[in-house]
Amino acid sequence: MSTQYSILLKQEQAHDDAIWTAAWGKSEADNSETIITGSLDDTVKVWKWFDEKLELQWTMEGHQLGVVSVDISHNGAIAASSSLDAHIRLWDLESGKQIKSMDAGPVDAWTVAFSPDSKYIATGSHVGKVNIFNVESGKKEYSLDTRGKFILSIAYSPDGKYLASGAIDGIINIFDIATGKLLHTLEGHAMPIRSLTFSPDSQLLVTASDDGYIKIYDVQHANLAGTLSGHGSWVLSVAFSPDNTHFVSSSSDKSVKVWDASSRACINTFFDHQDQVWSVKYNSTGSNIISAGDDRAIHIYDCP
Amino acid sequence: MASFGWKRKVGEKVSKSAVQQFEAEAEKPEKDPKDEKVDWIHVIKRRREVLLEDCAAKSKRLKAEGEVLAEQGRHWEAVKKWDEAIQLTPDDPVLYEIKSQVLTILQEVFPAVKAAEMAVKLRPLWWEAWQTLGRAQINLGEVDLAVRSFQVAIHLCPSERSLWQEDLSWACRLQKQHSAAKEKSQQEEEAREQIVNAPEFSRDYDDFESDEVLAACVAVAERQTRYEEMKRTAVVVDADGNVTTRVTDAEGSEDTASSLSMEQFVKARGF
Repeated sequence: MSTQYSILLKQEQAHDDAIWTAAWGKSEADNSETIITGSLDDTVKVWKWFDEKLELQWTMEGHQLGVVSVDISHNGAIAASSSLDAHIRLWDLESGKQIKSMDAGPVDAWTVAFSPDSKYIATGSHVGKVNIFNVESGKKEYSLDTRGKFILSIAYSPDGKYLASGAIDGIINIFDIATGKLLHTLEGHAMPIRSLTFSPDSQLLVTASDDGYIKIYDVQHANLAGTLSGHGSWVLSVAFSPDNTHFVSSSSDKSVKVWDASSRACINTFFDHQDQVWSVKYNSTGSNIISAGDDRAIHIYDCP
Repeated sequence: MASFGWKRKVGEKVSKSAVQQFEAEAEKPEKDPKDEKVDWIHVIKRRREVLLEDCAAKSKRLKAEGEVLAEQGRHWEAVKKWDEAIQLTPDDPVLYEIKSQVLTILQEVFPAVKAAEMAVKLRPLWWEAWQTLGRAQINLGEVDLAVRSFQVAIHLCPSERSLWQEDLSWACRLQKQHSAAKEKSQQEEEAREQIVNAPEFSRDYDDFESDEVLAACVAVAERQTRYEEMKRTAVVVDADGNVTTRVTDAEGSEDTASSLSMEQFVKARGF
């Protein structure tokens, strides 16, 4: 274990164009670590992370336009991707083959997120509805209506109780999944919320917005627990560390920041990207962070 | 013991009338603070403006003038104003963006792309600049680049419906058309190649009246007709983006085509 934050690896030219999204998964079958990235070059790439080395395993083609969002199922077997071509595709990570392609309808596929049991995929739509697709059948099962604007970001709470969505007008909605009822509507930001994430204990919700702020909410009472500033431009992505103590954010100011969850202070800033950083994620143990962005590079960092 | 205070001290040594006069004078500016204050600020501001109209302000004025000219359809004059403004504030992305729009109207396709490129370089998170860049790129015939620019714009502002419904779908349709047309011309080229270098020609025939030769000639002729047919069709991409090939002016060219292929057939026989 290292004692300080450092950059482990820079994979330059990982894609032919800007990387918009990344996910880090772990296979239950063989404990191998998989990273997937989606890009404006229409492809989804699967990388194996082994022995502090990144190895390209598959380049999955099929999307007609840029890939906006990717996620990996919790058993590490399936990847989901959504693209500007309005399709959600499911991929088998073992073979790199497409399992399914689901037509989400025009403008109705943005962020994709697997439910904690990986049976469903949630995605936001332009009319403010959260559509829930069944992974097995590939059909839309039901939808949750926020009665709001375009939903940019979606997150399931790890305990499976809640689903949070962030809209382009800065409104956050929290649903109770069991009843499908809208629990809270938070007017947290005045600008688009591009990313939100629950803490591993499902107590906190962290939101990132174009207004440059990160906000922390107490999920149960829907109270604002803190507002963090530090980024000089849009905050594009946030991710919580699996050990509940830290979270990481990335911004169009080209930086990646690590925050202490209890003191709410920024404890480290990485300034290694050349352009906007669209995505950050932790690995399953919280020992590494991945970031990727418009400079087509994937960076992997070491955490103490 | 009396407590210390300024007022008391003033009252002690100065006569009452003097105090009253002083207070009356002192109150004066308090009575009409609005006019005088505003006047002062105004005077100071105006003096600064007159003395040195800084680059930003002058640029702003030129930009506004250009906008008025552009609205009146005096596009070239507008561009001239904005060029002057750009000289003063070369880092203002808005100037490049509006200039690009007007250059597109003027069909100055390449400068329009250049200007829009500057705008997105200076403000990469501004979706409208990416939209303007995409539109300029389409006019230049760079459809692939336009598709990319529109995608970037959508990624920045996905709720903007016009980007999806007008710009991106339009660019994608053009892209399909391009690739379909390219594919067709490739097929045509291949078919032509087959006629010129027909495999039947490459071998020797002992008897020119044999069935074998006849069959070879028929094969060549058939290929010829297929090629002619291909030339008569055109690639059409409909509103939904479906690619179809349609026969164009079928009536008129029918005769010439058949006579042409007959001629070819005769030629092949003679060979």
